[in-house]
Amino acid sequence: MNSALRNACFIFSHSLNPTPNPNAFPLILYLHSLQSIAVSRLPLRISRQEEPYRSAGASSFSSSSSMAGTDAEAPASSSLVEKQFEHFRSQLQDSGSLRDRIRSVAMEIESSTRLMQASLLLVHQSRFIPEVLEKPKAQVGLLKSLYKQLAEILRESPGLYYRYHGDWRSETQTAVSLLAFIHWLETGELLLHPEAEEKLGLNESDFSMDVEDYLIGICFMSNELPRYVVNQVTVGDYDCPRKVLKFFTDLHAAFRMLNLRNDFLRKKFDGMKYDLRRVEEVYYDVKIRGLSATRD
Amino acid sequence: MLNTTGIQKAALMASKPKPQLLHTIAGTAVQSSAKRARTLSTQSSMKDAFAKYADYLNDLNEKRERVVKASRDITMNSKKVIFQVHRISKQNKEEVLEKAEKDLGDVATRHVSRLVKELQGTDFWKLRRAYSPGVQEYVEAATLCKFCKTGTLLSLDEINAALLPLSDPSLEPLQINNLDYLLGLADLTGELMRLAIGRISDGELDYAEKICHFVRDIYRELTLLVPHMDDTSDMKMKMDTMLQSVMKIENACFSVHVRGSEYMPLLGSDDPGSFLSGVPDIEL
Repeated sequence: MNSALRNACFIFSHSLNPTPNPNAFPLILYLHSLQSIAVSRLPLRISRQEEPYRSAGASSFSSSSSMAGTDAEAPASSSLVEKQFEHFRSQLQDSGSLRDRIRSVAMEIESSTRLMQASLLLVHQSRFIPEVLEKPKAQVGLLKSLYKQLAEILRESPGLYYRYHGDWRSETQTAVSLLAFIHWLETGELLLHPEAEEKLGLNESDFSMDVEDYLIGICFMSNELPRYVVNQVTVGDYDCPRKVLKFFTDLHAAFRMLNLRNDFLRKKFDGMKYDLRRVEEVYYDVKIRGLSATRD
Repeated sequence: MLNTTGIQKAALMASKPKPQLLHTIAGTAVQSSAKRARTLSTQSSMKDAFAKYADYLNDLNEKRERVVKASRDITMNSKKVIFQVHRISKQNKEEVLEKAEKDLGDVATRHVSRLVKELQGTDFWKLRRAYSPGVQEYVEAATLCKFCKTGTLLSLDEINAALLPLSDPSLEPLQINNLDYLLGLADLTGELMRLAIGRISDGELDYAEKICHFVRDIYRELTLLVPHMDDTSDMKMKMDTMLQSVMKIENACFSVHVRGSEYMPLLGSDDPGSFLSGVPDIEL
């Protein structure tokens, strides 16, 4: 219904109503219903103007309307409602801007880990030399400072760590996987959770590393191992598969101690056995050709 | 050596801890003694560490499971409250709502209270996905009761104030967050739609219109909030459903208005102002 027609009906029914004529009865009824529809689509103001007419003409309305609160309450309560939603809006905007700040730090973490990852890819191109690790390790300091920023942002709103967790968790998982890979290349051992926290400077603050993120990061790291083994063998390090297989078997055994839920970590863990099998195959290929320096 | 690989593979495929463990020990045994000492310690430190992670994950999963159970109970019982509210009619309003409110109180004391000690500190947000459906349903039931009683919107502060006495002072009280409140509110419109249709068929047209205004207000207010919510996809879906509900109420009101004029002459009323005059006055 366009507004011109609506207004016309409105005025027309008003002008007819004060003198109810039995002959005009069906017409008035018809207009009444039209008008009520029109009113229901108009702002509250007009329906209030209509009020005296209503209570005069239809006594049943006034008693029924009190069932859902009287009309006198309506403006007060609707302003209360508006106030509450206004409050929500400002709250949500605040948390939105907090999230934006977190996101921007998380993006810096992401680009830093990307640099790390790129420079770490050099380990696949030659026999392992510790110098390759210098460049990726140089990023660790930056990562540490970024996590410090993140911790400071979160300190402003205690208890909300997990509200925004999703905004940095995949970045953290990548960071853990890279740190653990570097650590393993250097020492041949697994980077444990407290050690990973320490590397990122998360051990002293209440901003800690989620254990599941750490475990997923370790799974990511293990994805890297088959490729590493293949390439090391190609460049002539025939002892590498044995070392990797030993480490990987232990890691897989350790992971099996966990009771996992049907979640992402479980999925990553389930994928791990294929990586392990690949490493075994490489070890087997090397072994059966007598390429490795056998001691048994 | 072929043999060893075979065992490894078998162990791997069978995925049982025992053969794997045997293999690992056998594997270490063939290494030189110096190396064995080192790897054994590595292995055990790894095992110790993973035992800790296992404990952590077990605790977390058990807690999550308890929270999920509590959330399901809240959902189930809040649903019952909502059904109770729908039993409302012109005659029995008081008693129906009284029972609904009593049941709602029971949901809070018996089930919502179970969440309080599970959701201390950071767990409140960590486990949000586990309890959110129940809390939303509770919000829905509470706001529906309040609307039927007074025609006003129950605010989040009022709900949270009602939840305060659930926890003893040593614990931090459970306070519903604004996201769950808004999501619950979005669900409320579906129930209000049912209520409106029921009221219309009962002849309480004015009540239905009241609901219509109320639902429109909520829809309009929520429209502004959607882009700021954490998880917008869920809310967007609810907004679509909500618009459908609003339109259903509007269409129902429209039909009654239009058809009301057709039925009037048959009812033989001579009061032109009240086209519902065939329906007895609502008793309160």
